[in-house]
Amino acid sequence: MSLKLENVSVVYGEGTPFRKIALDNINIEFPKGKITGIIGHTGSGKSTLAQLLNGLNKPTSGNIYLDGTDIWEKPKEISKIRFKVGLAFQYPEYQLFEETVGKDIAFGPKNMGLNDNEIALRVAEAAKLCGIPEDSLNRSPFELSGGQKRRVAIAGVMAMRPEYLVLDEPAAGLDPVGKTDILNGIINYKNETDGTVILISHSMEDVAKYSDMILVLKEGKVFAHGSVEEIFSDIDSLANSSLDLPQITRLFHELKKRGLSERDDVYTVKFGEKLLREKGIFNA
Amino acid sequence: MLKDITLGQYFPGDSILHRTDARIKILMLIVYLVFVLCAKTAFAFGFVVIATGLLVIISEIPLKTVLKSLKPLLFVLLFTAVINLFFANGEDILWQWKFIKIYREGIENAVKMVIRLTSLVTGTSVLLTYTTSPLDLTDGIERLLVPLKKIGVPVHDFAMMMSIALRFIPTLIEETDKIISAQKARGADFESGNIFARAKALIPILVPLFVSAYRRAFELAEAMECRCYRSGVGKTRMKVIKTRPADYIFLGMSIIACAGIFFLNQVVIPL
Amino acid sequence: MGFIQADKLTYTYEGNLVPAVKEVSLSFKKGSYTAIIGHNGSGKSTLAKLLCGIFTPTGGKVLIDGMDTADEDNMASIREKCGMVFQNPDNQIVSSVVEEDVAFAPENLGVEPAQIRKAVDEALAAVGMTEYAHHSTYKLSGGQKQRIAIAGILAMNPECIVFDEATAMLDPAGRREISDTMRKLNDRGITVITVTHHMNEAAMADRIVVMNKGEVAMDGTPREIFARVDELRKLSLAVPQVTELLYDLGLPAALHAKEAADVIEEEIKKKCL
Repeated sequence: MSLKLENVSVVYGEGTPFRKIALDNINIEFPKGKITGIIGHTGSGKSTLAQLLNGLNKPTSGNIYLDGTDIWEKPKEISKIRFKVGLAFQYPEYQLFEETVGKDIAFGPKNMGLNDNEIALRVAEAAKLCGIPEDSLNRSPFELSGGQKRRVAIAGVMAMRPEYLVLDEPAAGLDPVGKTDILNGIINYKNETDGTVILISHSMEDVAKYSDMILVLKEGKVFAHGSVEEIFSDIDSLANSSLDLPQITRLFHELKKRGLSERDDVYTVKFGEKLLREKGIFNA
Repeated sequence: MLKDITLGQYFPGDSILHRTDARIKILMLIVYLVFVLCAKTAFAFGFVVIATGLLVIISEIPLKTVLKSLKPLLFVLLFTAVINLFFANGEDILWQWKFIKIYREGIENAVKMVIRLTSLVTGTSVLLTYTTSPLDLTDGIERLLVPLKKIGVPVHDFAMMMSIALRFIPTLIEETDKIISAQKARGADFESGNIFARAKALIPILVPLFVSAYRRAFELAEAMECRCYRSGVGKTRMKVIKTRPADYIFLGMSIIACAGIFFLNQVVIPL
Repeated sequence: MGFIQADKLTYTYEGNLVPAVKEVSLSFKKGSYTAIIGHNGSGKSTLAKLLCGIFTPTGGKVLIDGMDTADEDNMASIREKCGMVFQNPDNQIVSSVVEEDVAFAPENLGVEPAQIRKAVDEALAAVGMTEYAHHSTYKLSGGQKQRIAIAGILAMNPECIVFDEATAMLDPAGRREISDTMRKLNDRGITVITVTHHMNEAAMADRIVVMNKGEVAMDGTPREIFARVDELRKLSLAVPQVTELLYDLGLPAALHAKEAADVIEEEIKKKCL
């Protein structure tokens, strides 16, 4: 059970001077029940990949398999795929349109053709996961703060109860509190529904902190893919990808160079602290 | 895709048309519109096609771009062609099947309408929007309308609004695309149902678009105020517009071409 | 007296009872580089808009180079002296062509055409966008658009630029472009005030003002501020990772990875001897 891409390429503007390969022969599998972080520069193909996974975009060549079936086998039923693979766009708060928060969250479930009881249930469930208080459900989404709007928009995708949840930069532009709220909501979703999460981000720090697996994209190709430990075990190659390494990783990279630390695969402050304390110097 | 719409976009360049005074280009466009709308005979239409082709060539805008700008019009063009083809009455029946009759006049009308529409769009784009930067364009309009200022028409504000509208067309188109995708990801269906269902399906696109346009307008106004915008009071321009002899020659040629149409309209060749 | 002087500055939004900014007194020296941080709703953006005269205070006053922002007659000179770069790169670009956009402010000011040309060329050079002068503004990256917005302000030769979360919508590369540009502008003597929630950016400033509930919670150099990790955490603000590590280990504060490595090296040497 997984979401799998086989030899997938996406080419824009085929046959024109503006031809651009957005994704180049991607082979990758997103295992069920895991959080995979996708990281890469602007233009590395991250957002194109996100729109492939739920059938908003069609690959130029190659196939995408959802639990073993090709999602483009029956093009007329592609909307069913969109309910199974939920996609929250970048700055999703700009898609809010209903009079109340509750109605907006209900938009997806309504399009699925669910009955009113089921819809109410799902709205309540998604609101809870995203930490939206019940009394907010009757308020206008346009009265909320930026961070709250973002949570409502993401709850709108969660309410479809997708087995796979794809989020494009869910924390972009938020302050630390807003960011934590959103990312905690996503973790809640994964834990409660046993769902699979694909988290697209610019921030290596966030990806390292929240994901089980990391996929590094570079110029439309898979640059590295593996568990967080595997990815961070090869810091030199990661540094070569010209991505911003977490500050703590850079510190240990420097310490290792100076012969002060044996390891440099450090990506959380806690682990770094533990390593240093083990030296027996910093216990005082 | 909506992204294909290039209407209102400016393609920086250095062709003769790019260098022509915007005021002259606006006047030329008016003459051109008369020119296209007055064409009646086959000769006249042939002349329209040649003149429009010449404009495209001297604008140095790639033909591909020009054709792409017609793509969104394809439906309108087909619709007009079909209406003219099947519903025009005439004398010469060329083909008949049950109650459907196609007359020679119908084919002629269809071809003429397609040429007329295509030329209008191409001519307007090439003469004005593609080759005139929005600031030059609004500047040109403002200067042409200066006499109206005397009777209290806020000419500058009008020109500024137009320039901003042109600047935001691509931004809003991109935004619309994004909103459509986002609502599709939530299972929105824009393709099925009767006309009322489809109209209703537009609400999830139009509301966010309106909210966003309003927010953009508000923020832009603030940013403009920060850059000392005072509604044209005491405003100068970085590029001083000078009308050169070549500009007048251009205008003269347009007027002659326009007059030529009336002449060609008199020439009827039997088909 | 500072270049910008805020005295018991208060601002209440229309229809609100609680002021967004409450009796804030601050002074910004000419040529200084200050970061204002705080979580959403702390009043930091409101403060920024008050400091450059976009908002008129509902209580107290702001003097920019001695001019009261509440006085309508000063407005024109204040706008010229103090510019603002906003969050959304798309919503502050007026023209479709880069150089025409940059020329907007001097044109509004009625500057001579030849002088405008000069100001535009200089402003574009200052933000490293000279080669894009004739490009369409629409196709630029977020970072490039923000640099054009900065050039648009620079073209009116201001003494101070206030950045209101100008990097919030940018990717890491774009953020670096803009913070580098801020540093360069400051080196040229321009007073820089930046509102941000990226701590690494705040660490680049010479001074950090922490806002909370409309009031100044902390004010000091980055080193001083980041040494108070507990207080920052209480205000639900994040600190740079290395700062957090050193704090937890009971070591002196450092802002960058290299600096932190130096601190740790020092400590190991000390303990081993």
